[in-house]
Amino acid sequence: MGQRPTVMIRPRRPLQVRAFRAFVAAAALALASGVFAAPVATEHVEAELVAARTALVPGEPVTVALRLSMQKGWHTYWQNPGDSGLPTTLEWKLPTGVAAGPIEWPAPHVLPVGPLVNYGYEGEVLHLVELTPQRTLTAGETIVLRARADWLVCKELCIPEGVDLELALPVDKASMADPRWGAPIAAARAALPRPLTGWQASAEGRGQTIEMKLVPPDGATDPGALQFFSRTEARIEPSGPQTLRRDGASYVLTLPVSFNLTGDFGRLAGVLAAANGFSPGARTATIDVALTGTVSAGAKPALAAAPQLNLASPPAGDGLSLLLAMAFAFVGGIVLNLMPCVFPVLSLKVLGFATHGDSKATLHKEAFAFAAGVVLTFVALGLVLAALRTAGEQLGWGFQLQSPAVVTVLAVLFFVLALNLSGVFEFGQLAPSGVAGFTAKNRSIDAFASGVLAVVIASPCTAPFMGAALGYALAGSTAVMLVVFVALGIGMAAPYVTLALLPGWRHRLPRSGPWLLRFKQLLAFPLYATVIWLAWVLGAQRDNDAVVRLLLALLCLGFALWTWRIVRTGGARPWGIAGAAALAGALALAWPLLGTDADATASAAPGQRLTTADPEWLPYTPARMADLAASGRPVFVDFTAAWCVTCQVNKRLVLNTPDVRLAFAQKNVVLVRADWTRRDPDITRALAALGRNGVPVYVLYRPGRGPILLPEILQQQTVQEALASL
Amino acid sequence: MRLHSMTLTACIAMATAFPALAVAPGATAPDFTIADTAGKPVKLADYRGKFVVLEWTNPECPFVRKHYTSNNMQGLQKEWGAKDVVWLTINSTNASHSEYKSADEMASWMRAQGAAPRAALIDGTSATARTYGAKTTPHMFVVDPAGKLLYAGAIDDRRSSNPADAKVANNYVRAALTEATAGKPVTVASTAPYGCSLKY
Repeated sequence: MGQRPTVMIRPRRPLQVRAFRAFVAAAALALASGVFAAPVATEHVEAELVAARTALVPGEPVTVALRLSMQKGWHTYWQNPGDSGLPTTLEWKLPTGVAAGPIEWPAPHVLPVGPLVNYGYEGEVLHLVELTPQRTLTAGETIVLRARADWLVCKELCIPEGVDLELALPVDKASMADPRWGAPIAAARAALPRPLTGWQASAEGRGQTIEMKLVPPDGATDPGALQFFSRTEARIEPSGPQTLRRDGASYVLTLPVSFNLTGDFGRLAGVLAAANGFSPGARTATIDVALTGTVSAGAKPALAAAPQLNLASPPAGDGLSLLLAMAFAFVGGIVLNLMPCVFPVLSLKVLGFATHGDSKATLHKEAFAFAAGVVLTFVALGLVLAALRTAGEQLGWGFQLQSPAVVTVLAVLFFVLALNLSGVFEFGQLAPSGVAGFTAKNRSIDAFASGVLAVVIASPCTAPFMGAALGYALAGSTAVMLVVFVALGIGMAAPYVTLALLPGWRHRLPRSGPWLLRFKQLLAFPLYATVIWLAWVLGAQRDNDAVVRLLLALLCLGFALWTWRIVRTGGARPWGIAGAAALAGALALAWPLLGTDADATASAAPGQRLTTADPEWLPYTPARMADLAASGRPVFVDFTAAWCVTCQVNKRLVLNTPDVRLAFAQKNVVLVRADWTRRDPDITRALAALGRNGVPVYVLYRPGRGPILLPEILQQQTVQEALASL
Repeated sequence: MRLHSMTLTACIAMATAFPALAVAPGATAPDFTIADTAGKPVKLADYRGKFVVLEWTNPECPFVRKHYTSNNMQGLQKEWGAKDVVWLTINSTNASHSEYKSADEMASWMRAQGAAPRAALIDGTSATARTYGAKTTPHMFVVDPAGKLLYAGAIDDRRSSNPADAKVANNYVRAALTEATAGKPVTVASTAPYGCSLKY
């Protein structure tokens, strides 16, 4: 019988055990060295118990503090929280041998919350408490001080929070100042409000106000602006005015009595803060004087109605004449060529110059065919828009992109074009040779089709000047509209036609060669980028599922086109079947996306997705605008849409920058976003009232004055100037 | 200095914008017309001849939630609604504030809480809150059948956000209504309200 040899191996202590022992040793070391405490963090506040000295000496009082460190913008409250809020409370659970005094509150600050006033602290605050260790304590033991701290921390929202804190201190015959907290606690103690020395204070009730008279000692400097904080609630109205005047050598501060005065008001007690201090190092002082005279509840309001916002629109068209509108449309059309939507396709047209070593005549024919395509498509779009509007639909320019179906079709179109440029297939291979030959020969038709394509893809990019011109066009009669649209079309086609008609320059282009192929493939990438953007727009209009559907459909389509090329160049039959299957798959995937726009109203405001992503921007509704009109605050409305590239660029480069956001916050501007990604009759009506029919539109409504319309291409400076006029 | 500019701004702002208001017990309750969550305008003067309770509220406030999670507010609404007291819940959160609730949102919140006021009103311009000098949510006012204010202030004497406190607290609204409906004078007519600040 064979037995496995047994070998005795002395096991090494496992890693975990060793680590634990090391930790315990470290902790013991920390404990032995004295103070052991850790701050407790809640969502917005970090709380800690800290001590001024390293040990408790029996019989010697020591100052400890509740340290609260608030996130920026959040505040906690003083013992009189003001118009609203709750003071911080500290409940000690002390072992025998230690007694704790009350909280010695640092001087509060005025924290305005709208028209109300709170008294409290921001940033970091030390609530001092004096502990008295009894003589019964023996040196060598460690005392664990426990406390429950509860507070209300508010910014706009209020959150009640509370934590259990502990602080362990050794008992010793002598102690040193705590290296970390000794100095800050001493500074906080020095800054505590103290009774005035040298100054005489008195208070007289005069009905609804109280006059506090302060007589300075000789040689005292001007204390500056004074602010009184009553220690008890419902005595002095926190948001009421406290006016200061000189009376000979004295200062008289008139305080408003609280409108819900409760209880006996026999003494005026609280903290008085002076902007310049009462004496060096004493910026605040405690006041506790008897109240003479009589007081009654209530103070006289001086309610000035908040200046209303003028929501009336600036005159539509702003004195645009037909000629001026045409001029704007023409220039807008030219600039449209530079917009990211249009540029890739048009650069391909320019490319066409180099590929076809054509005669001048053919080139001119092509150029004019392109121009005709552009102009006629604009006219056709305009006619469709006019027809739909007379049929009662609330539509504006760019309406075609509010439909997910159109966005899907455009995405497919751009993808196919991009695949063509990448070399996955050739157009000639798609059609039977007869048709292909026809297309190749009659390049005029090809050019015409390019013109149509260019207009279809240009619509999302509203160029400057076009907004006002389009507004004028769509507000006028059909004839006026057609004329302006023709001008727009001519403007858009103009650069290409000019290039075609200019002699000579294309001869300087190198002959077609490998560089041309590479350039063509390079240009595919901006088109892929456009597909990605259109997928994003679809996502904003619908949801993530729709985007995945679209991408899968494009994938199948790409595969189908690739197999088609194989089949056309003599590949085996199974490739053809695979390709057909992929095509069917693509159709099946894309079909729901081409569905009806019934979801435009059914789905819960998908356009709001853009707004909920940024909570500072409130969604636009007419009811909200009416309410805001009475709020007295300036309102900035951003009419935007996911498919509008200019809008997105303006957002990234101007509206979302920290400088501009700060300027908005400083001027207390309400930010409203009117999202036109899907059809919204309210927003269309609002745009029409402003004399516009497309996005972007930026309006700044100013209380008591007329609104300002900002240009379509925003600059930081433009926004800053408009805000400066508030 | 920071104090100086803040004080100055605060003083100027307060003097011009907000009334440290004289809507005190004994005075006539100012009339108002506000649309309720169904869009119907509700006028205070229409309820002359009945006791009216005005409850300023904000669903986002932990102090309001204290009274609703503990069913304290709903209980009061039902108890006094049964005695023909008109209970009006008013949300004066300004339309420009992020906590603003539209009529639909307010209606569905009230339904979810099982609240039973006579009407829930949306005061998006905060105008009525300004008129009454409402400072906090909740802030309670009780009006007698003659249109005079009987009580203005806190809902009860436990100034906390702990729902457990609502049951054990001394409820000022219940006390005022009990005394007034019995023909007795209201002993506690005014207290300092507590809660979150009203979102003007």
